Amino acid sequence: MTDTATRSPGPSDQRLDETNESNRPSVAVEVHGLRRTYGSGDDAFEAVRGIDLAVRRGTVHALLGVNGAGKTSVLEVIEGLAAPTAGSVRVLGLDPIADRQQVRRRTGVLLQRTGFVGDLTVRETLRMWSATVTGARPVEESLARLDLTARADTRMRALSGGEHRRVDLACTLAGDPEVLLLDEPTTGLDPESRRAVWSLIRDLRDRGATVLLTTHYLDEAEALADQVSIMRAGEIVRAGTVTQIVADHPAQISFRTPDHELGDGLGLAGEAVEVARDGATTVLRVRDLQGALTDLLVRAREHGVRLEQLTARSASLESVFLDLAHDDRADDPARDEPAHDDLGATR
Amino acid sequence: MTATGTRPRTAPRALALARFNWTLMVRNRTTMLYAFAVPLLPLALLFTADASGADPGAVGDAGVAVVGAALVTALLFPGYYNLLSMFVTRRDELVLKRLRTGEIRDAELIVSMALPGAAITLAVAVATIPVAGVAGFPLPGNPLLLATGILLGVAAFAALAVWTAAWTRTAEAAQLTSAPVMVIAIAGFVAPALPDRWQSWFDLLPGAAVGDLVRTGWFGQSESGAAVGGLSFLEAWVAAAPALGVLAGWLLLAAWLAGRSLRWEPRA
Repeated sequence: MTDTATRSPGPSDQRLDETNESNRPSVAVEVHGLRRTYGSGDDAFEAVRGIDLAVRRGTVHALLGVNGAGKTSVLEVIEGLAAPTAGSVRVLGLDPIADRQQVRRRTGVLLQRTGFVGDLTVRETLRMWSATVTGARPVEESLARLDLTARADTRMRALSGGEHRRVDLACTLAGDPEVLLLDEPTTGLDPESRRAVWSLIRDLRDRGATVLLTTHYLDEAEALADQVSIMRAGEIVRAGTVTQIVADHPAQISFRTPDHELGDGLGLAGEAVEVARDGATTVLRVRDLQGALTDLLVRAREHGVRLEQLTARSASLESVFLDLAHDDRADDPARDEPAHDDLGATR
Repeated sequence: MTATGTRPRTAPRALALARFNWTLMVRNRTTMLYAFAVPLLPLALLFTADASGADPGAVGDAGVAVVGAALVTALLFPGYYNLLSMFVTRRDELVLKRLRTGEIRDAELIVSMALPGAAITLAVAVATIPVAGVAGFPLPGNPLLLATGILLGVAAFAALAVWTAAWTRTAEAAQLTSAPVMVIAIAGFVAPALPDRWQSWFDLLPGAAVGDLVRTGWFGQSESGAAVGGLSFLEAWVAAAPALGVLAGWLLLAAWLAGRSLRWEPRA
């Protein structure tokens, strides 16, 4: 009988278990009932108000929200940089604070705002960082991966914002992490660099990494995310794939009629989720865009009404995001029912 | 995606970071001046002191004053102030926050920032020996005790630096917030010149403890004016115990205070 067969399970056994696909939890990041409050007493501010989140292994999950929605506050708890006020967080089945060292060895973190020592060169910065990372890839490889080789001997203080961000990413990826926690990864990057980072994130995902990122760029979420959670005022107000989120949201038709009486005569309220009218402009929010548009055109023809500036637009992540991010009624179940609106809508 | 490389252990990790902190210290001229030049200035006074031996007690007192001044200066500038300034600047620039997202532990981060100053303090202590010898002063009688005291002093002043950083908002503010520690270090060092009723209180200050350790560990004096080399190896340890206790006390107090209030990010 070998030592291996008789000894108690130790860290190396756990490591083996973790690499055994059959034993790997399918969820890499799990958040339950997370709350985070800043300050206390009358000055207390609840930035995160009880959210649940599950990020499956090998997927990209985007937390979308306007500034102040609570994205970074959530991420900091998952990163183990802050303790939750309430609720629980597990990363790879581990507590990010209690099991800090185990979690850190397997995660790569990119902060929204960060700093490096200005007097070190790019190469020195990566060497310094790599010296603290388990199984760090060679520094020259990290430089090449983020297209930084030509800037390797430049002091950090002389870099542009985009180059600084790429050095930051190179540090994040130095240890080949299983889970990436990226807070606004492409903020400050030029369009070409953004797409290069997207490509890198997709490549990492394809090779098995799990990515949880925050962003307020909708194109970034659409391009990268397998799952999206939209946050507003510390809560997740919509979650799912982009397709699911968009499918639940009404499309929009708008047109102008010289005489609004003519618009009323079209009798469209029955098909619209919401009808809003501002002077001669009518905005319809509809579930079935093709059907509603067809009906509208047929009725306009029947009534001899000319529809000016007619536009029809399917629901997009942008329209959902803008509605949810700024609308206090977003999580109201009656939200999708026909309702009066600010423009003096009729049913 | 599982990392398979060698796992960096605590000491190599802190040493690797310390090496870069050393590089940075050498690159910055102001830091260089504080680090190297200031601690060496008091050593020049060794050549103005009377080491002829006409009054053995006076030789010891002069040696304690000059060597003690060099060590306290080294503990204060490359040690205390350098660490305080480095900590606050890097906290302001979010460098510490970034490093804390990685595998390195908080204690390793602090040690890595304290090591360059500690190395200079130890270098000053070593350089003092031949300089004192050339100036006609005896060599350290109890190097082990002296080394123990200096290491304890390095740790105590590093802890005081981290505690000061806890309530220092900016690097500029450090010029003011460092004043209390500077004062207690220097004030304690003048304790032997004070009346007895004041002296016992001043002996509790870290500067006084450094002076006492130089007196017992280097010159083997039991007290001011006593014969140089009058203490045996063991007697020197016994005589130095209160001073070692004072430095250990400051180390524990500062570490406890720092642990309660230390911030790793700038105030919002």
